[in-house]
Amino acid sequence: MPAIAVMTTRFVTAAELMCRVLGMPDYKFAVIEHPISSAADARLSEAARATIIEAHKLLLQT
Amino acid sequence: MQLASNPLLTSKVYDVADFSAAQELFHANGWTDGLPIVPPTPPAVAACLDWVGMAPDQLLGVEPVRAQPITAEKLAINAVMAGCLPMHFAVVATAWQAMMQEEYLLHGVTSSTGGCAALIIINGPIRLEIGASPTFNALGNSDRATAVIGRAVRLAVINLLDVRPGGIDRSTLGHPGKFSYCLAEDEEGTQWLPLSMARGLPAGASAVTVMAAMAPRQIMNEWTTDPKEILETFAAEMRANQLNYSIYGGNYVIVIPKQLREHIEAAGWSKRDIGEFLYERARVRRGDWATVGKGSVVRDRADRIHPALASPEHLLVVAAGGPAGGFGAVIPPWMGSKTKAVTAAIGACIDCGPPDAGTTRRGEAGS
Amino acid sequence: MTMRVLDPSNESRVVGGQLAARPTSLKGKTVGFISNGKEGTKGYFTHLDRMLREELGVADVIWRTKSNYSAPADAHIVDEIRKWHAVVAGVGD
Repeated sequence: MPAIAVMTTRFVTAAELMCRVLGMPDYKFAVIEHPISSAADARLSEAARATIIEAHKLLLQT
Repeated sequence: MQLASNPLLTSKVYDVADFSAAQELFHANGWTDGLPIVPPTPPAVAACLDWVGMAPDQLLGVEPVRAQPITAEKLAINAVMAGCLPMHFAVVATAWQAMMQEEYLLHGVTSSTGGCAALIIINGPIRLEIGASPTFNALGNSDRATAVIGRAVRLAVINLLDVRPGGIDRSTLGHPGKFSYCLAEDEEGTQWLPLSMARGLPAGASAVTVMAAMAPRQIMNEWTTDPKEILETFAAEMRANQLNYSIYGGNYVIVIPKQLREHIEAAGWSKRDIGEFLYERARVRRGDWATVGKGSVVRDRADRIHPALASPEHLLVVAAGGPAGGFGAVIPPWMGSKTKAVTAAIGACIDCGPPDAGTTRRGEAGS
Repeated sequence: MTMRVLDPSNESRVVGGQLAARPTSLKGKTVGFISNGKEGTKGYFTHLDRMLREELGVADVIWRTKSNYSAPADAHIVDEIRKWHAVVAGVGD
């Protein structure tokens, strides 16, 4: 199943490590600005926009 | 020491020039907690395995997120590094297997920004055998046994799960318990049931209880002998934790040293009575979040009441601490009930069939 | 005099999976969200839902939230994935 994992900038190193630990060191994921928990709606919209841009590369055949 | 068996160890072997060289090798590879380690030589590791009667390749569990098998040999190596003697390893192995139970949520609690540590509470005759001291400095450096047992578990988390600061360990702050967080219960100094019995194990069993825990929050009330007033101070600290840290209920540990404990016992209160009292008293109104700067998440649920304990049995009462001082400690859970305390008997098979009163207890039990 | 010491780390390495084949388009397809349910994710996924429908032609978006944000997705959510055409999992924060 094609999937895109989304994480914030502050969790990139954790995600990269988990990719290695799980045996897929080159797995690519989408990165959005941190934090999300206190972000205003406009920032959440920007984060969704950034995800759509990544989705074109990571979820679709190019 | 004459070993009864000659186990075949399969871990990679490094030849190092001396003790100092061993330190640099281990530090350079990220295999330590920053402190010097005891070099894990094959005889030392074999002695631990021999003591508990485990083969090196005995499977202690599979960490589910990584599908990572954990063997007795690997855990023993980390136990030796921590400073464990063979007699300490039985406690380490049981604690580790308890942490690998699904309800403990080992990956989640060790990787979270919340920064909790594995709190290990020891009960039963083994405390006396290993010299675990449940009195003075119970939550600090009380004795060799609890220091090295707690440390062994952290080193195993680092090395067997690759949980390192800035890597998988995303702890924003963490707390000193991440070096070692282990205490024994003062069973000889109390009339109360040991924690292990309160959680369903039989009398006389040696056991460990593990909980993903935040740092201790010390309280003081040396000005009353009334159990309700004493426990109200504990309740207030639990409520403060709910407002200032996490509002969600879960397993809380309270540690009651002798001075306060004697007043509560003299009034005829049992651990169950304490649980019932704190179940009622340790709860907050969601709207009170606004008084501590969290008004933005109150929303339309201001009147919702959040209890710190889902039931009285969610409270874990531990008799420990020195003989003087009107102090106590509240130890909150990592994050509500997303992880649960696990109690396991030492020497019992933790995964053998359905749990009964004599083996593993999850989450809660009465006293 | 040398000393022999044992490797304390997990020397076994997990054999990883393979990347699933990617579709050329998500037009008319179903996308599932697996959310960790933390604060902010609702607003984020609301925008993403709209953008997927309006810009990529996604026909249906299914929202699922894990019961425990620090644990892997619940088994029933993982089972449901087979009914979708693509997954967005987030947010790691």
